[in-house]
Amino acid sequence: MEKKPEWLKVSYNKEAVEEVSGLMAKLKLNTVCKEANCPNLGECYKKRTATFMILGNICTRHCRFCNVGSGVVEAVDPKEPQHLAEAVKELDLKHVVITSVTRDDLADGGAGHFADTIKAVRKLNPGVTIEVLIPDLQGVEKHLDIVIAAKPDVINHNVETVRELYPEVRPEADYDRSMQVIQYVKTKAPQIKTKTGIMVGLGETEEQIYQVMDDSLKAGCDIFTIGQYLQPSSKHIAVKAYVTPEKFEKYKTIGEAKGFHYIASSPLVRSSYRAEEALEGGKS
Amino acid sequence: MKKNIQMPKLSEQMETGVLAAWNKEAGDVVKKGEVLFEIETEKVVSEVESMESGVLKEVFFEAGDEIKVDDIIAVIDCD
Repeated sequence: MEKKPEWLKVSYNKEAVEEVSGLMAKLKLNTVCKEANCPNLGECYKKRTATFMILGNICTRHCRFCNVGSGVVEAVDPKEPQHLAEAVKELDLKHVVITSVTRDDLADGGAGHFADTIKAVRKLNPGVTIEVLIPDLQGVEKHLDIVIAAKPDVINHNVETVRELYPEVRPEADYDRSMQVIQYVKTKAPQIKTKTGIMVGLGETEEQIYQVMDDSLKAGCDIFTIGQYLQPSSKHIAVKAYVTPEKFEKYKTIGEAKGFHYIASSPLVRSSYRAEEALEGGKS
Repeated sequence: MKKNIQMPKLSEQMETGVLAAWNKEAGDVVKKGEVLFEIETEKVVSEVESMESGVLKEVFFEAGDEIKVDDIIAVIDCD
């Protein structure tokens, strides 16, 4: 195993992890924290926060950076929205992040289930702010409309990497389609905060990163996240570079100057990491 | 009361991890929540906190060793 740079260090508290994991198991819920083998799981679970992953834990796409399993998908659990709302209450979350696997097999891509989940969370937890991290829904506007109509506070759709690396990193996705998703949301519902993010360390150049920033701003993106790509296993695409914290700081400074309302940029940033702070920062 | 400290399972797929460093030595007083050792896995290095307060009695592995999940790494004599 290649030695990690000293800034890639996280804390692990067994009791905290087991408490949140136990609640998720009891309510038959998935978290992207667990499925993606997120390095921040220990910190987030210790703070009693998690990012929920709906629509099962099997994805219909095969992105080469992602640890979520692919294969035969499961039927959608109709009780999931209610269970998720109960978990939000139990964890006393003020801000909830809900993501999903990509479900190209479903007629609406899972948009209706997202909407049902947002409504269930709102009903049981009035006052909570809701962020959804959605797949591209194949760019189908009527499906995006279903999610928009449920009025989440933030709609995030990650472009994940620079345009030039799509064939290698996200072979079944389309850079322009992802940008169009952000643009459509902002045009249709300007009051909803839009958010996207990328991983770095996959071989991209600085200029390519700034181009993603420019494209995202042009699409109407408010909040931008940048984090280090970390290889989940030797079967996944390799890390090309460990980007230094100083370089992340530079990206943040440049991104803010370009006009984002908020940028989270550091090695262990993930799109939902400290999302509540990003929402607060993005409100200005 | 003596308690075994086992190699934690830090992720779903984890089968082994590398003991990157000890933050305590045998004979040291340990407080609950203090970092006991560091484990390197595929993505990061995790600082593993002690779940007990007491005295670290024995350690069975050295930095650099690859250890299976659930293997006993050390024994702590709890307060």
